[in-house]
Amino acid sequence: MPAPVGERELLTRVGNQDIAAFEELYRMYQSRLTRFLATVLQRSQLIEEVLDDTMMTVWRSAANFRGASKPSTWIFAIAYRKALKARARWPEPHEDDEFDTRVDPDPRADERLQHHKLGDALRRAMELLSPEHRAVVDLTYFHGLHYREIAEIVGCPVDTVKTRMFHARRKLRTAMPGDFQDWIWSQNDG
Amino acid sequence: MADPINPAQPHDEAEELLPWYATGRLEAVQRERVEAHLAKCADCQAQLATERRLIEQFRAFSPEVESGWNRLAGKLAQERPKPIRRRTSFKGFADGIWAVFSQPAVAALATAQLAFLVLASGTLLWLSQPTYRTLGSGSAPASANVIVMFRADSTDRQVRGALGTANASIVGGPTSSGAYLVHVEPRRRQLALAKLQASGDVQLAQPIDGASEQ
Repeated sequence: MPAPVGERELLTRVGNQDIAAFEELYRMYQSRLTRFLATVLQRSQLIEEVLDDTMMTVWRSAANFRGASKPSTWIFAIAYRKALKARARWPEPHEDDEFDTRVDPDPRADERLQHHKLGDALRRAMELLSPEHRAVVDLTYFHGLHYREIAEIVGCPVDTVKTRMFHARRKLRTAMPGDFQDWIWSQNDG
Repeated sequence: MADPINPAQPHDEAEELLPWYATGRLEAVQRERVEAHLAKCADCQAQLATERRLIEQFRAFSPEVESGWNRLAGKLAQERPKPIRRRTSFKGFADGIWAVFSQPAVAALATAQLAFLVLASGTLLWLSQPTYRTLGSGSAPASANVIVMFRADSTDRQVRGALGTANASIVGGPTSSGAYLVHVEPRRRQLALAKLQASGDVQLAQPIDGASEQ
């Protein structure tokens, strides 16, 4: 996927310490990075810290960006490394009480209950994965990145990305409740 | 460039690529090969349905995004060069002074100067001690144990003569009746009284505290 028009130029301006360009870049990436970090970290109290740390590194290092990869790949790679470092400081898993508040409820009332039920099951299933596996799942499913770009971000071979995704999908399918399988087949039957 | 599907293991390779097929991220050649396999593999069709449902569920997660720009802008402001600000508070001034004096070279010089100041201050203090005694300083005067009334026409010289003979000294007075409070050595008070009473310049000499000679 090509970089959005102007994104490279924006990063160049950030490299020249253009604060307005940096704010624009921040607003462009805040939501995506927050989503990615929330998935990888599973620690609500760390998300803001790592997001800020990531963007401060972008601010300081933008002048060193040579354009070998897309700006998004470069920025997500920074965020991924920061997230793994932050995770290392918080090795013990714990319940993320705030995660439920981040679920966007289905506006259709008749499906809302099932939506929450499946969403909660998916959240718990994701907690069973390692941060490395969660990163690959999030970058594939939510951010829609190609596996080669994901390999650049997480710094591993392409085959490793495919393997991580394969095992992550298997675990997710197993962890999802019976309702999930019923829903899939009912959709297929319909 | 599309990664080739291993023709010897088309199912494994297609199964591996299903997530990216579902998100539409495969190149045309890969997509066509996966579709060719899907057409004849019920298991991969089921997995694709699961993939699509997972993606839908996964994208329904919407991490709450706070307006973090202000927070980051605050951090940025701390990092950018700050204008020099004049300290206005005493604490700020004291901290600044301490910062200067806590530097090693400055601290050594300041220590020497401080030692000199302490020594000089001690010397000045010692020199400033008074060599005279004020009315309020020193030990309390001896208590009066005799009251004396001199004749009205007695001169100062006669008074001093009478007191000297009795080895007495005035410690108070004159009272409203013109008497003086006098102290004599207690052991010799009787003798002192006798000498005072024998003096022609003394009208009255009496013990006043009732204390007896020891």
